Amino acid sequence: MKKMIIQSMMTALLALAAVSTASGQQPHVYINPGHGGYDSDDRNMVIYPFAQGDSAGSWESKSNLRKGLALKEILEKKGYKTSISRVTNTTADDLALSTIVALCNQSGADVFYSIHSNATGTSAVNNFPMVFYRGYTGSPQVVNADVLAADLEPYLYANQATVWTHNYQIWGDWSFRPEWGTQGYGVLRGNRAVANLSEGSFHDYIPEAYRLLGLQYCWMEGWNISLGADKYFGRLNQFGQGAVTGNVRDDRIKRLQENPQPFIVYGDDQLMPIHGATVRLLDQEGNEVQRTMTDTLRNGIYTFKYVNPGTYTVEVSEPSHFTQTATVTVEANGSTYQNFYLKRVRDTPPVVVDYSPVWHEGDAAVKCSHPITLTFNWDMDSVTTCSAFRLEPPVGGTFKWEDSYYRLVFTPTDAFDVNTLYTLTLDRSAEHGGGTAMDEDFVMQFYTQPRNHLEELAVFPYEGAPVHFKTPTVELRVDSLLDTYNLFQRLRVLDTDGNELAWNKRSIKYNKKGDAYGYVRIPLVKNLEPGKDYRLVLDMDIADTAAIHLPAQRVINFTGVDAGADKPGMTVVEPFESADGYKAWIYVYSIDTHYLPVATSTERLFGDTSLQLTYDFNDKSSVLISYENRHDVSFSKGDTLGLHVWGDMGFHRLEVMLDKDNVSGARLPIDTIDFHGWRYLEIPLDDLEEGNYKFAGFMLHRNNQLMGNTGIIRFDNLLKKASSGIDELQVAGMQVRVAGDYIVVSADTWVQGVELIDIQGRTIKATSGNCLNVADVERGIYVVRVHINGSTSSQKIRL
Amino acid sequence: MKSKLTILLLMASMLVTATAQEVEVTSRQRLLEGVEGPAYYPMLDSTGEHLLFLTDGGALKVHDLTDGVTSVVTRDYVAGHDACWGGDGNVYYVTQQVGEDHLVYRTGQCYDASTGKTVQVTEPQHGAMRAVPGTRGGALKAPGRGYASATDIGSAAWTEENRVHITVGGEERVFSPVDSWAGYLWASLSPDGKRVAFFAAGKGIVVIDLRGQMLALLGNYEMPCWYNNDYLVAQNTKDDGHQFTSSQLMLLKADGTWQAELTSPTSMAMHPTCGGGRIVYTTIDGLLSEMHIQIHE
Repeated sequence: MKKMIIQSMMTALLALAAVSTASGQQPHVYINPGHGGYDSDDRNMVIYPFAQGDSAGSWESKSNLRKGLALKEILEKKGYKTSISRVTNTTADDLALSTIVALCNQSGADVFYSIHSNATGTSAVNNFPMVFYRGYTGSPQVVNADVLAADLEPYLYANQATVWTHNYQIWGDWSFRPEWGTQGYGVLRGNRAVANLSEGSFHDYIPEAYRLLGLQYCWMEGWNISLGADKYFGRLNQFGQGAVTGNVRDDRIKRLQENPQPFIVYGDDQLMPIHGATVRLLDQEGNEVQRTMTDTLRNGIYTFKYVNPGTYTVEVSEPSHFTQTATVTVEANGSTYQNFYLKRVRDTPPVVVDYSPVWHEGDAAVKCSHPITLTFNWDMDSVTTCSAFRLEPPVGGTFKWEDSYYRLVFTPTDAFDVNTLYTLTLDRSAEHGGGTAMDEDFVMQFYTQPRNHLEELAVFPYEGAPVHFKTPTVELRVDSLLDTYNLFQRLRVLDTDGNELAWNKRSIKYNKKGDAYGYVRIPLVKNLEPGKDYRLVLDMDIADTAAIHLPAQRVINFTGVDAGADKPGMTVVEPFESADGYKAWIYVYSIDTHYLPVATSTERLFGDTSLQLTYDFNDKSSVLISYENRHDVSFSKGDTLGLHVWGDMGFHRLEVMLDKDNVSGARLPIDTIDFHGWRYLEIPLDDLEEGNYKFAGFMLHRNNQLMGNTGIIRFDNLLKKASSGIDELQVAGMQVRVAGDYIVVSADTWVQGVELIDIQGRTIKATSGNCLNVADVERGIYVVRVHINGSTSSQKIRL
Repeated sequence: MKSKLTILLLMASMLVTATAQEVEVTSRQRLLEGVEGPAYYPMLDSTGEHLLFLTDGGALKVHDLTDGVTSVVTRDYVAGHDACWGGDGNVYYVTQQVGEDHLVYRTGQCYDASTGKTVQVTEPQHGAMRAVPGTRGGALKAPGRGYASATDIGSAAWTEENRVHITVGGEERVFSPVDSWAGYLWASLSPDGKRVAFFAAGKGIVVIDLRGQMLALLGNYEMPCWYNNDYLVAQNTKDDGHQFTSSQLMLLKADGTWQAELTSPTSMAMHPTCGGGRIVYTTIDGLLSEMHIQIHE
């Protein structure tokens, strides 16, 4: 006791000395608690249980004021002169920034602290102290503003009652906000004092928002700013008392996530802060020096202010936890941090109070994806509980603890086997967090269903598929409705360098209730590069609504192509620039205008339009689109027919109809429409009988699968290549002649190029004009290919 | 009942007056465009012929609007923030140095615009020091020994904490006509020396007579300057707590019965100063401009 009295006297003398030595030369600190009031610019964080706008909740304006008032009180105790821009939290106190600066200048203050907390304003969540001064980093406008900042930040960052995510940062505001030019922060602009704007922590880090609700935590920030001022003015040795603070948390129970959305927590902030804990500061004789309590604002903070130097015991007690003590040493004008992790009082053995799946002989079988859940009366020890967990037959899987170790969830790595009786035994060695084991084993059984994996019905692109490069669409179809939550994250298209191509999420299409199968259909945002290889990755955890997932991850290789690329040697027969002459028929060939195709500019490869067929099969088995106008061009045995088709992955069969002498001649199977987007399809006409055939339309045959009852397909440029490789089509007025060393092409229209092709099909020479120099070409038979009006025409020639 | 009716009639007639009155901005032009970089805190002398301003680089300069010559007063960064013209045509300002003990020491200076020479008029002192313009000279108010250009610098007005000081005929009076926790700022005498306008934090612009009697509250605007004996120009600054979001110039009738916008509500015009019928102001990015107005009463 005597020692205490002497200590107190010494402290009082030191405090007096601090004031008297500063007589006439007191450092003058201007304090600006940032913002003011409960208005839209006062940074209200909505945290449970406070509603938006509730003045009892988290407001930066409120915590700034608490810190500022604490700083004023502490600095005055330390012998400083202070001025402050506000002492209440009202709108009227929210002075204009230019007013605050002018008030500071008029006051003659040596230094200026504008006290704030920070927010990222984005989904990123951080917590670290920052301080700003006017000017570029390292080059302050007012001399020493960078020194003041450097003296402050280590004290803020030393705070161990919070959880920092990064080291502190010091910035010149012109460097930090280059987009503002030299405007900078308003309270630093024109400020003649050595000025700092301190962002002590981040209030949008939710655990920090709860701490900032607490008076004791705000006081401690004021204390730490005062230490920064002491360091700056060389007065650290002029105050004789210190402070003790810390955080009281449960040693393993996770903190409640009662906010509307779960929030991010780092480090010790994952643990539950203890409400209402009594915290006592005891001297070495066990006498109580100070007593405080943690509040009920989800922060667990305690603080002892103005403690004389010495060694103390901090004792924390709370009825549902065991009492803990720690020895701390308090230094004059220092901060002492001591956090506590209290162990819960658990006074009965652990038992399983609930479990899932619950199954008895004769019940419906359990889904093969069903996780096993065990709920206990106490929070359990993870190691002993997981090692006490045995499944017969054995299944690999993962354990996950929920509800602060009260609930254990076992999820099989793949799936439970089908039609299998499983027995789970949790033997009595499982312990709760206090180290007491179960009195007896827990046993449960369940029987599984006959299906344990999702079956893939179709996918595009499929392995090796050529995919038209323009914003292609990817589609997966499976045998039951997909769980669409974040499904797009489980499919990826990667290029050969491993770069992921972005989805156009606004155009995503999912299966919906009542659909006969599950699907997801997503276009890419950007184009592919023709000629480049890609891969589609389907993750194993793509699952249906019953959590039945794919049997394994799938990697599907495909190639980007340009379906509209030039087709050498091919001539356009039908450009589909008009729907005139087309008629629609349904099986068995009754005319039906409902199916009449239209010319559309929505999707086209060439010209202004393509031909679009919108179909709805319902009870029909096929649709025929006949073309009544006959082209001059005819096909014959040995020719090649080319067609550009825009597919909808309907899996219907497409045929091209050719008439021979105006009567039905041939139906040429083109392809099954198992793709999305444009594709160029080519059919050799080697099996045709002799004769002249003309294009007469299409036939689309319904698939016999669940999918594709309705849809759209489109057609663009129908092409022909003559069997000789030389087109019979003559462009009006076109002449090809050999004139000396040149092949000269003339026509009624612009000649865009001439190629000379040998009998092996190789281009020997080419020009973009109409005259091709062949002086150095060997004598022989060649083909001249002429490019006119976007199409080509070929002709044999002898040199 | 009769008195209530009279008040209502008076209010109605004021309203008619208010609606009948208007201001016309007759010209607006950039000053020192292409000659000077960003400039802030412009301050016209009473004739409107000389303009003090602070450059972005930290130099306090004076620009003669009659001959276009610009001279450097000092290159001390903080000097320009509260420099003022004395009634004697000199510039009074304060420089500061940070001592080894990190306290800020301030020194009073007087710049003679006719010779271009500066004289240090006070010793460096710790604490608040400010330049005060008088109608016949200037003074440096300091915690220790200050300075006055003459025994009687004429009429003057300045603020200190939540007090406004008025000196007339060598007699200083101190008033606190309105409550303001944070304090008073920007006091100035009307050109005829009969009234004082100042800013009370949390209350706005206050007009008082020389006996401290409150005549009008003009609204929560900042940095008032007397345009003439009946009107003041002030700034209406908005911010989000960190940076300015707008700053508008307002014309305020000194009796509080009328006000009008001189710039748009979304403008960034600030630091107005008046003299000789001129209004000069700057913008947040330091573009000095001169404005002329015509008031139709």
